[in-house]
Amino acid sequence: MAGVKRQTAWVILVLFLTTAVLAGCTRSGSQLGETDSGSDKDGGGERITLRLTAWGAPDEVEPYKIAIKKFESEHPNIKVQLQHIAADYDTKLTTMVAGNDVPDVAMMESGSIAYPLAEQGKFYNLQDFLTDDPDLNAESLVPNITYSLEEGNIIGIAPGPETFGLFYNEDAFKEAGVEPPPSDAKDAWTWDEFVEVAKKLTLDNQGRNAADPNFDPKNIKQYGVNLASWWASYSNFVYSNGGDFISEDGKTFALNQPEAVEALQNLADLVNVHHVAPSPVQSKNIPATHVALQTKKVAMAIEGQWVSSSLAKSNFNFNVGVLPVMKKPVTTVVCAMFSMFKSTEHPEESWELMKALIDPESSIDMLTAGTWMPAERDWYTDQALLDRWTKDQAARPSGYQGAVIDMLLENSHPTPTGYVKNFNKIMDVVTPALDKVWLGQQSAQEALDGVAQKAQAQVQGRRD
Amino acid sequence: MRKSLFYGLLFTSPAIVGFIVFTLGPMIASLVLSFTDYSVFKDRTSFIGFDNYVRMFSGADDYFYPSLAATFYFVVLRVPAVIVLSFFIALLLNMNVKGRAFFRTVVYLPSIVPAVASAMIWMWLLNPDLGLINTLLNAVGLPGSLWLYGENSVVPAVVLTSLWGIGGTVIIFLAGLSGIPRQYYEAIDVDGGGWFSKLRHITIPLVSPTIFFNAIMTLIGSIQVFNEAYILTQGGPNNKSLFYVFYLWRTGFRDTEMGYASALAWVLFLVILFFTFLVFRTSKSWVYYEGEGR
Amino acid sequence: MRSSKLSLTFAYLMLALITVLFIGPFLWLIRSSLMDLSQIFTMPPEWIPRPVRWENFGRALTVLPFGTYFMNTFTITISVIIGTVVSSSIAAFGFSRIDWPGRNVVFAILMSAMMLPGAVTLIPSFLGWQALGFYDTFYPLIVPAYFGGGIFNIFLLRQFYLTIPRDFDEAAFVDGASYFQIYRSIIFPLSRSAIIVVSLFCFLATWNDFMGPLIYLKSENLFTLALGLQMFQGTYTAQWDLLMAASAAVVLPCVVVFLIGQKYFLEGITLTGLKG
Repeated sequence: MAGVKRQTAWVILVLFLTTAVLAGCTRSGSQLGETDSGSDKDGGGERITLRLTAWGAPDEVEPYKIAIKKFESEHPNIKVQLQHIAADYDTKLTTMVAGNDVPDVAMMESGSIAYPLAEQGKFYNLQDFLTDDPDLNAESLVPNITYSLEEGNIIGIAPGPETFGLFYNEDAFKEAGVEPPPSDAKDAWTWDEFVEVAKKLTLDNQGRNAADPNFDPKNIKQYGVNLASWWASYSNFVYSNGGDFISEDGKTFALNQPEAVEALQNLADLVNVHHVAPSPVQSKNIPATHVALQTKKVAMAIEGQWVSSSLAKSNFNFNVGVLPVMKKPVTTVVCAMFSMFKSTEHPEESWELMKALIDPESSIDMLTAGTWMPAERDWYTDQALLDRWTKDQAARPSGYQGAVIDMLLENSHPTPTGYVKNFNKIMDVVTPALDKVWLGQQSAQEALDGVAQKAQAQVQGRRD
Repeated sequence: MRKSLFYGLLFTSPAIVGFIVFTLGPMIASLVLSFTDYSVFKDRTSFIGFDNYVRMFSGADDYFYPSLAATFYFVVLRVPAVIVLSFFIALLLNMNVKGRAFFRTVVYLPSIVPAVASAMIWMWLLNPDLGLINTLLNAVGLPGSLWLYGENSVVPAVVLTSLWGIGGTVIIFLAGLSGIPRQYYEAIDVDGGGWFSKLRHITIPLVSPTIFFNAIMTLIGSIQVFNEAYILTQGGPNNKSLFYVFYLWRTGFRDTEMGYASALAWVLFLVILFFTFLVFRTSKSWVYYEGEGR
Repeated sequence: MRSSKLSLTFAYLMLALITVLFIGPFLWLIRSSLMDLSQIFTMPPEWIPRPVRWENFGRALTVLPFGTYFMNTFTITISVIIGTVVSSSIAAFGFSRIDWPGRNVVFAILMSAMMLPGAVTLIPSFLGWQALGFYDTFYPLIVPAYFGGGIFNIFLLRQFYLTIPRDFDEAAFVDGASYFQIYRSIIFPLSRSAIIVVSLFCFLATWNDFMGPLIYLKSENLFTLALGLQMFQGTYTAQWDLLMAASAAVVLPCVVVFLIGQKYFLEGITLTGLKG
């Protein structure tokens, strides 16, 4: 009896599955037909389809969708296909290039395949468009958000910059009776002042701070400051101390020069000498910062301004100050970019699309949420526009104007991925060496001298 | 004999055709590319003979040997750990315990949870300063470890995280164990043999084909370890977890040197082939197939 | 039987330990899926969501067209399972129950498919499918299952077929059975637990496959759940609460399928126990 029942079940299952397969095949078949007709020209005026590839979480892609909708209504003959590539963007784009299935406009990252593509002449020089454009030009953009292959050959424009700041928990400062970090660059802490404050804010489980002679560095309850070990994070201090990744003439590896070495050693000392910072963690994807600040695991964090959005949702008193200064106030700008493929048949229309994507108007939700900053200068200098994304926003605390906005406009430095040729391969040599520095096994000087020759072999010059 | 050749080919023909159509072409393509300077973005590709292979073995590539070393260390630690642990768990799950369905599901759960989610948990567990494991170790007076951030601890730590995903191996063992007729054990019971003698004289020989399968698959899979480096460590610290396939992927897709990556891949192919062959050769002495009637 | 009581106690102790160690990630996923973004990463970790945010599921499943993704994933998965089970079990039969010259050489060659890292065959494979005109269709994801279904599965089934005594085949031959009848009425039914394992693995691998759909699909209306899940990770931050909720929703069918599937192992034991 059980056998009969089972047999019937099998028959039903097989029938069901066969239907599913048949449905599946016809489905994908009809799909193919649909896309074909979609890209064809209609009877009337010329119908254009532009393809755009981008990555991002749904809330990050939403502004692009808004921009596209607006763009399409202003250009009724153009249809924009947004291809959202969620992860492994470079792998996907590489196969697309291999198969000659290339978008017109693509979001790109400076640290990955953007430059390899540009070096093979796959991108338009956007300088030409910027020169001729009545609305958008080099002066109307904030500093350091374009990427160039060499001077005068712009391969990408960012939808907005991201800078670094010193984020902190206001209550931790109140409890320790310490003045919080200044937000104005001219009042910024020196490095020594910063270390002193960090000591006062580092508490062991008996409540003694790191300045106390009985302080127990083995049982720390609250760290003074949190930092990340990726290059963008420490680049702020390398630049601040007058150092660089490679020399000004682009010929010499420069991270083993005194200015850079001192900056890196200072950072490592926060962990290994002063015991005011936990071991730096490589990944920028694990959103530890906002919780660490909220729960007072750390009192301060050296972080990108994008963290504002998660801080704003975390429901505690946070604020942002200007980064401590070694020799001069600096913040590094990091950003993704939009590039236009040479293979596009519609460069003019693609440029219009790029302008629409960069327009802060479409991304207002991301601006007020705190994740992004606008690309256009007006939005910083025109009070009415500035108010639209900063006034009364939880993600834009009192220090924001000085520590983030003014720093960006006056003291920002381009990201090394944008001007150091062969950056990845140089860093493949440097990053392992620095791992030893963060762990306190070698001094910055020793570690970097040790790899200087190998790093030098990868130096190919500068793009600026 | 002639007829058996016909039927043998008939039954295996879909697989053979599938191999030729879907696999062989790309394999040959990559072999050919390994003798070129192919980069996806370059319009010109030229043959460069054995240059890629010379670059690898001559020491001109600073990462080739370290990545081989990291991978071997990983394989040596992981393969025995996976086989022993999953066999042990499978034995437990094959016992007549209550709630077997529940336990079996539990063991398999980590294999179902998306990698991003479990990677996140490990980052939290293994954080040297704030992580749960070090906190617990300290609480009982043991020293913590740097885990993923220490040069000496990163590979063992990665192996540890990967052991969470042994559910699949356990399931295969379970399927193998379920095929052992109960009468065999009863025979030993009559003879008065104990638990260990059952294990040694019945269980292990009878599931040896499954052990063999799991050993081969774990070996091939471990040599090609990728995700752990990709998600957890990015090859650090100090290249100590720069696993071979991760390095190969970085070369091919980030540095866009697909020709060189293909050469790297073919060297690994030969390495895997060699070790798989070794295991196959030894299998004659310890794998017992009832169906072969020996 | 006295010793078995002792060993049972030991078994329960070990199983309890294993449960604690292995249930972690799943519980973490479930509790995170019900949490506020700020609570997910609290250290030390909290296990009870406060407040319980059921709306994460609602938001996660509406922000992306998960209904479409589900149907696509379902279609692909079912098609792949059928193809894999049928074609790999037939091929495994040819590699284990029929003695033909060159069998082991052919098998070894097929095994080599697993030994070359996929990173270097990815682009050639893609170009092949594109040349056939099947880019942006399900065919590259489904069709290979009908041609062997992967050497992993063939190898697995071969190992099980080899453990079935040859006497069964001989007896059937004497009765005038053909190879196909032996396959259908003896080998396939006797290796049912292995077949279920293959279908189970196949289900999970296809359900969670990310790379295949990423490379071969382009239109959003063909996307799968695994692709959709990745979309919650952003450039600078990730919508972890939604990611976790969506992951939980995607994982749940897997758990159910597994719970059902493993029941058949239990049956498998008693079935084979009766014979032989």
